[in-house]
Amino acid sequence: MRAPAVAAGVLLATVCSGCYRGIDAGQAEGDSNVGEVTGGGDDSGSGDTGEGPPEATIEPGAPTMHRLTQPQLHNTYLSLLGEPLTLPTDLPTDDLLYGFTSISAAGATISSLDAEKYETAAYAVLEQVWSDPVRRAAVVGCEPAAASDPCVAEFLAAFAHKAWRRPVTTAEVDALVGLVDSITSDLADVSSALKFGAASVLQSPNFLFRVEIGVAADDRPGLLRYTSWEMASRLSYLILDAPPDAELFALAEADALTERDAIELQAQRLVDDARARPALVGFFRDFMNLRKLDTLDRSVEMFPQMSATLGPSMRAELERMFEATVFDESGDFRSLFTTPDSYLNEDLAKVYGIAGIVGPELRPYAFTEGSHRAGILTSAGFLAVNANKTQTSPTHRGRFVRIQLLCQDVPPPPDGVDTTLPAPDPNLPPQTLRQRLEIHRENPACSGCHDKMDPIGFALENYDAIGAYRVVDELGLPIDSVTEIEGTPVAGPLEMTEVIAALPDAAACIARRFYEHGGGHLAASGEEDAVQHVIEEFVTSDYDFQSLVVALVTNDGFRYASPEVGL
Amino acid sequence: MSRTNPDSREARAQLGARDTYMNLAQRPTATRPGAGVPRRAFLRGLAGVTIGLPILGYMLNDHGDAYAGGEPIPTRFGLWFAGNGMHMGQFTPSVGADWQLPADGSLAPLVALKDYVSVVTGMSVLTPRHPHHSGMSAVCSGGPHLKVADVRDTIVSTFKYPSVDQIAANYFLTESATPPSYRSLEAAVTRFRGTDEGTSFQYLSHNGSVAGESNVNPSEESPHAFWDRLFNQGTAEPLVRKARASVLNSVGDQIQALEGKLGAKDKQRLDQHLTSISELESRLSAPLADCQQPADPGEFPDIDSNEVVVEKNVVMSDLMALALACGLTRAFSIQYSTCGSGAVFWMVGATDGHHYLNHTEAAPYGVGAAIARFNLEQLAYFLNKLRDTTEGSGNLLEHSSILVCTEHSEGWTHSQDDMPMLICGKGSGRLKGNVHYRGNGDNTSRALLTALRGAGLPLAEFGYEAGYTNAPITELEV
Repeated sequence: MRAPAVAAGVLLATVCSGCYRGIDAGQAEGDSNVGEVTGGGDDSGSGDTGEGPPEATIEPGAPTMHRLTQPQLHNTYLSLLGEPLTLPTDLPTDDLLYGFTSISAAGATISSLDAEKYETAAYAVLEQVWSDPVRRAAVVGCEPAAASDPCVAEFLAAFAHKAWRRPVTTAEVDALVGLVDSITSDLADVSSALKFGAASVLQSPNFLFRVEIGVAADDRPGLLRYTSWEMASRLSYLILDAPPDAELFALAEADALTERDAIELQAQRLVDDARARPALVGFFRDFMNLRKLDTLDRSVEMFPQMSATLGPSMRAELERMFEATVFDESGDFRSLFTTPDSYLNEDLAKVYGIAGIVGPELRPYAFTEGSHRAGILTSAGFLAVNANKTQTSPTHRGRFVRIQLLCQDVPPPPDGVDTTLPAPDPNLPPQTLRQRLEIHRENPACSGCHDKMDPIGFALENYDAIGAYRVVDELGLPIDSVTEIEGTPVAGPLEMTEVIAALPDAAACIARRFYEHGGGHLAASGEEDAVQHVIEEFVTSDYDFQSLVVALVTNDGFRYASPEVGL
Repeated sequence: MSRTNPDSREARAQLGARDTYMNLAQRPTATRPGAGVPRRAFLRGLAGVTIGLPILGYMLNDHGDAYAGGEPIPTRFGLWFAGNGMHMGQFTPSVGADWQLPADGSLAPLVALKDYVSVVTGMSVLTPRHPHHSGMSAVCSGGPHLKVADVRDTIVSTFKYPSVDQIAANYFLTESATPPSYRSLEAAVTRFRGTDEGTSFQYLSHNGSVAGESNVNPSEESPHAFWDRLFNQGTAEPLVRKARASVLNSVGDQIQALEGKLGAKDKQRLDQHLTSISELESRLSAPLADCQQPADPGEFPDIDSNEVVVEKNVVMSDLMALALACGLTRAFSIQYSTCGSGAVFWMVGATDGHHYLNHTEAAPYGVGAAIARFNLEQLAYFLNKLRDTTEGSGNLLEHSSILVCTEHSEGWTHSQDDMPMLICGKGSGRLKGNVHYRGNGDNTSRALLTALRGAGLPLAEFGYEAGYTNAPITELEV
C-alpha cells in the first residue's frame, strides 16, 4: 500500500520543482526540513516489510511539557473535585500551531494574564467544594483541628498525587503542609487554609503542564523512554483529554506501562470510554480547521441562510460525521469522503435546500442520489471555511485539500508576483471566477502550483461561499465543474471526491497528522520510519481510525524520546 | 532568574506612595470625544461620574508637573499596532515641522492632535526579510523574527526579542520604588482572524524566545474580561490576599524545583511561568489600586455577521486610558488588529478580510485606503481620550510616548521599505510632536529607540543584530 504514496510524493516533487520557493530571509536561515515536514516521501529505501516495529534507529521528539488544553483542564478539575462542578470558561486560550492545539500546547508558556486566569479558575472550582461542608469532607476526607493533624498531610499528599499524576516526594508534601500551617495561623481556620494548600497544587506547573522528562531506555541506547507515569498521562490525555483513571494509576504505580502489549490493552480500553469521542473529535476539529466555523462571517445580504448559529452547526455536522464513522459505523476513515450519511438541523437544511427539518438539534439524514452531496468535501462546513465572505475561492479549497488533507507541499506565491486577480474588463463579456483564474494557467510562475490546487476547487464551484449547491454563479453564468485531478477526468464534485478518497496520500496524511498531534510536534526527519509504520498499520487495518489510535500509542515514536540537544 | 523577596516587596509597598491614589467619584464627568460616529454608549449609567482622574492638584507641586514629594508624574509607554500596512500616497504628509496632509490624507483624523503626533516614514526593515514576519518583529521589537519552522506554504515564527512595550515595562520596574499593579497591560480590539503562522501573526506583546517557545503576553480581547480583571477585583480581605500571595510563593518554589529537571527549552518556558507568578504575587502583596470602577461594558458580539469594531475600540480605549490614569500600569500595548489580519472592515465597504483584500483589490486600492484611514480614526479616538484626561497641569497624552506601527508599508506590495510609523505623545516634554521625519532607507529601529527615549528610557542604542541602531531621531526630540 505504500508504493503509491511514495510515487505520489515523487510526482508532486517533480511538478513543484517548477514552483518558485520565495528566496528571502527564511531561506537564508537554512530550511532543510521542508520535505520532511510535509511528507515529501524521501525515505523509500527502508521499512518496506511492514511487519513488526522498525528496529531502525529513530529520533523521536524530545520530552516536552504539554500545557493542559481547556478540555483537559476541565476534565482534570472534574476528576479531582467531582460533580457537579461549574467549570471556569475564562481560561488561557488554546491556540493553534501547525493547525493543532496539541502542538501549540507543547510550546506554550504561562503569561502573566494566563497565571491570573489559572488562579481565578483554581479558586472558583475549589470554592464550590469548600463552601459545602459535605462535599469538602468528601474531598478532604477529614475535619482537621490543626495543621499538625496527620490528615492534613495525608490529604495534601493524596490530592497532589492525583493532581500531578505522579508520586509526590516528602519534601513536596512538607512544603504544602508548611504553607497550610502558615495560612492557618493567619486565618485561624485550618479548613480554609487547606483550600489554599489545594490551590497551590492546582496552580503548580506539575498540574498545569503534563510534565515529561523520561528515563534512559535500556533497550534503545542513546534514547529515552517515557516512564509508566508519563505514559499513563500520554495515553489518557491523548485518547480521553482526561487524567489517568484508577486502573492507569495502578499500572503506573507498578511500572507496568513500559511494554507494548500493556499499552495496547490500555489504549483499546480507553478508546471504548465515552470520553474518547469528544477527545478524538477534537483532533478532527483541528485537522479540518473547524474552529474557524464558530466565527463564520458571511454577507447576510448575499446569503439569506446566514445566522449566528450556522457556523457552529456546520462544525457540529462534520464532527458528528467523524464521530459516527469512527465509533458507530465501519470505522473506515476513507468513507468520510464519500458517505451520504450526515446530520442536519434547520440551519443546515436551509443551506442544503432540504425541507421539513426544524429546530437546532442535529438528526441523521441520508443524502439522496440527486442531492449533490457525499462526504466531508461537499459539506457546507468544509466549503464555507475555505471560502471568502462573499465569494468562493477555488484556490483556497484546493490548497486546503492538498496541504491539510493530503499533506502535500504547495509553496507560497513567488516574491514580487502580483497575486491580485485583474479586475474584470468591462468591455468584455462577464467571466466566471474559473475563467478569470485561467491566468494561473497562462503564467508559468503560477501554473506549477495552481495546477495542483485550482482544479480541485473548480470541481467544487458548484457550491457557493456558504456551501449551497448552484448551477450558475452570482453573475448568472453557468458553472463548469468538469476538470481533471491527478490525471483522472472528473465530471463535477462527486467524482472528484472519489478520486481524492482513493489517493493513498489521503489516508497517509491523517495518520501523519495524528502522529504529530499525539507527540505535540511536527514529525521530524528522524521520525519518518515511525510515521511510515503508523501509516502501514492504518492501511492494514482497513483505515480503521480506532486502530490508528492503537498503532500510534504502541509506536516507538510515541513511547521513546530523544534527549534534548543543546540550544 | 532571581526572585525578589516578597517581604521586602511588601514592606516597600507599604512605605510607598500608593496612598496618593484615591477615589475620585466627586470629579466632574470627562467628556467623551468622537461624537458623530454611532457608538454604543460605554460607561452607561455613569452620568456624573468620572472614569478616574487620579492625580489631584493638591498632590502636586506648584508647577503641576510632579508630585509634591518630588516624584515626577510617570511617563507611560505604549505600542499601538494595526496590521497590513497603510496607503503611503495618502499617508505621507509634508516633511519637516508642522506636517500637512496630502490629498485625501489618511492622517486627517489626527490633525486635531498633531501637536502630539510626529510622523516617521522612509524607514526600512533591515533584518532578514520574510513577508509580514520580519516586518512585525522589526517594528515591534527592533530585531529579527525567529523562524520556528518552515511549514506547508509558509513559515511559523515568533519574536526572538521582546517587544518594545516589555522593554519599557522592565525599565519602569527598575525606575520606580513602587511598581504599578501591572507590569504591562495588553488589549486587543479586533479579533484574531489571521493565519496559523505562529505568535508573530497572533500576538503583539512578546517576551522574546530562546528556542522557539511561544512566549507572549496575550492581548485581552473581551471587553468584559478586561474590565473584570482590572476594575472588578472587589475588596478582598488583606489576609486572604496574603494567603493567595503565599500560595503563589509556594508555586514559585515548585517551579524552581521542576526547572532543574528540564531541558533548556522547557526551562525557558518555566522561567516565564515563574515571572508571571511573581508578578501576580507582588500585586497581591501591594495595596489595591484605588480606581474608580466603571460599569461592566459587557461583550460585543457580531451584528449580522459583522464585527463591532468602532464600539469595541471605544471601550478598550476607555479602559486602557483609565488603567493608565489611575496607575494600574505604565506600559501597554493595543493590538488594534493583528499582523496579516483578516478582520473585515465592512463599515468602509470591505467585503473580505483585510489581508485577503490587500491581495485581491485592484489599483488604486480605494477600499484599502479607506481601511487605513478608518484605522487611524480609531487610533485618534484613543489618543483623544488620553489628551482629554487631565493630569496635573497637563494631560495623559503629554505624559506618554506611544509607538504606532504596522508590519509593512502597503498591503498590495507587502514592501518593508518606507514603513509608516507614528510617535505620539509628548513624553513628558521629551518629544516635540508635529514633525514628519523622512528617512532614506534607515533602520526602523531608529523610531523604536526614539519612542523609548521619549518615555524616559536612558538609551543611546537599541535593536538587535541587523536591527541595531545608535541613532535616535533627534529631529523629533526636544
